[in-house]
Amino acid sequence: MSFLEVKNLVKTFGSTEVLKGINLNLAEGKFLVLVGPSGCGKSTLLNLIAGLNNITAGEILINDKVVNNIHPGKRNIAMVFQSYALYPNMTVGKNISFGLEIRKVSKEQVQVKTLEVAKMLQIDHLLDRKPAQLSGGQRQRVAMGRALVRDPDLFLFDEPLSNLDAKLRVDMRTEIKKLHQTLKATIVYVTHDQIEALTLADYVAVMYGGEIQQFGSPHDIYNQPDNLFVANFMGSPSMNFIDGTIQKDANNLIIVIKENGRTIQLPITLPNTAIGNYVDKKVILGLRPEGINLFRDDSDDEKMGVDCKIEVIEPTGADTYAVLSFNNEEILARMRPERAIDLKETEKFTFNMNKAVFFDPETEQRIG
Amino acid sequence: MTNEESELLYTNPYWRILIYGALIFAALLFLLPLYVMFTTSFKTLSEIRLGNMLSLPQAFTIQPWIDAWGEACIGLTCKGISGYFKNSILMVVPAVAISTILGAFNGYILTKWTFPGHKLVFGLMLFGCFIPFQVVLIPSALILGKMGIANSVFGLIFIHVTYGIGFTTLFFRNYYYVFPTELIKAAMIDGAGFFRIFFRILLPSSGPIIVVTVIWQFTNIWNDFLFGVSFTSGAQVPITVALNNLANSSTGVKEYNVHMAAAILAAAPTLIVYILAGKYFVRGLMAGSIKG
Repeated sequence: MSFLEVKNLVKTFGSTEVLKGINLNLAEGKFLVLVGPSGCGKSTLLNLIAGLNNITAGEILINDKVVNNIHPGKRNIAMVFQSYALYPNMTVGKNISFGLEIRKVSKEQVQVKTLEVAKMLQIDHLLDRKPAQLSGGQRQRVAMGRALVRDPDLFLFDEPLSNLDAKLRVDMRTEIKKLHQTLKATIVYVTHDQIEALTLADYVAVMYGGEIQQFGSPHDIYNQPDNLFVANFMGSPSMNFIDGTIQKDANNLIIVIKENGRTIQLPITLPNTAIGNYVDKKVILGLRPEGINLFRDDSDDEKMGVDCKIEVIEPTGADTYAVLSFNNEEILARMRPERAIDLKETEKFTFNMNKAVFFDPETEQRIG
Repeated sequence: MTNEESELLYTNPYWRILIYGALIFAALLFLLPLYVMFTTSFKTLSEIRLGNMLSLPQAFTIQPWIDAWGEACIGLTCKGISGYFKNSILMVVPAVAISTILGAFNGYILTKWTFPGHKLVFGLMLFGCFIPFQVVLIPSALILGKMGIANSVFGLIFIHVTYGIGFTTLFFRNYYYVFPTELIKAAMIDGAGFFRIFFRILLPSSGPIIVVTVIWQFTNIWNDFLFGVSFTSGAQVPITVALNNLANSSTGVKEYNVHMAAAILAAAPTLIVYILAGKYFVRGLMAGSIKG
């Protein structure tokens, strides 16, 4: 049963259509991340779910109830904002309890709940301070406390970590995930950071141009991107795209790539019936950097090996990336740092076709 | 202050003396009328007739102040300016309070609860700020007459509120324009409505702009002469008009010492307001101008 349901949601501002018919279903206790570049409509969608903007067309249901015309204060939702939006004139304690106060919860109850939440977030020693006296991380916690204390049906997060520095962001990310696991709360979370999306989500909705490009588990989004946009946007460093033509070689399908005067043939190893319709047609081969590795003489299949010119070596600590020149474009290969020593100008790389995906160059959709 | 800054501020001591000398001279020149007012108000009439305007009082007396407050004749009544002072207080307090509150609400609505055409409404209000007083005198008199509040403090309050809304709206609108809208959204989700958001979130953060608006409105309304003289007469006039009537009373000798004392009393409230809150005034104006 779905807890949050969005049906054919359309939002226009003046003559611009910001959301073009969004459909979503989220079960209770699940963590949904809306991710996309800026201007894709993800924050607008969140604001509509919160009730902060009017819906142009379509329906939003929370707990099987249409909430289109219900005031945000009565939807039993809580929201954490990018700027934290703490009330500057109130103490931390008042900030947390403001929502309870309005809902006429008894004074003792307010105190107990505020303290409980503050302890959980380790801000109980800050309750008498004003927001201006807090650090960024502490403000972030207060903003979360304000959401948690009300025990809402649905949590909405609007890029809550983007104002924090890199290290704190990673810590808070883990903490949000832990919180979700203990509370079993239903969460919709907006971010432009695709790593945040993949680490936090039960489900990811990749948005672009006012539409959901793909809805699925982080694993599916990463490994089976529905189209070129999703493949390119999700994952860092991003996927390599190589033009090629499908051909039949005896009973097997191969992809033929013309590169700087030579012809490279790679077998298609994954069972993929749809690709059979593309014989003698152009396709785009998508292969993430971890699918292109330095060739191992002892274990790798000779058919997958390709000589490539190395342009630059980029060590990142855990992995080392090699920028390869391929068809006058750059593609990225990943290797273990200890193997990236004493490399020649040209090395043999193996293209791991078990990790390959194919796209139709015209529709930009994944084949199969 | 760092060394570098003090270096930058360094000027030749002779220049300093020259600059400060000129400044002090100018300051004294501007303070001279105030000095003459004060000394004259403590002199006896016979001493004033000697003509030494700049001399200190020989026979110090506070009788002129007592006369000015309670006994000087304005027109046919000889009860001093105290009654008119009260008129002005009764006019200025409600007029400032009402126009400030309305301005705050207007600013709140025009920035956080915008409606189609809100820019036009604001534009028209701004336009209202710059209409010369003289243009509205006759229509205002007609309206006050129809409403039955002509020649009364209520009439003046009404006129000053109406005329002040343009400015107070401008002040609050610009202040609230930069007030983070996410705070309003957060309060909405917390369950707060229109008025609670205003009184619990916005107003407690509006200290500086309230001070600016109050000083601005207080000074303008207290110092107003034209509306006072146009729409009230006799015992209903505000202090500014009464002061004029006092100085122009043609019976008997001109009691300059009483006039001076009355003038200082009439100017005192605006001075006091500015001295007490002037610090916030400058701060508030800056807050509005830089952020807005």
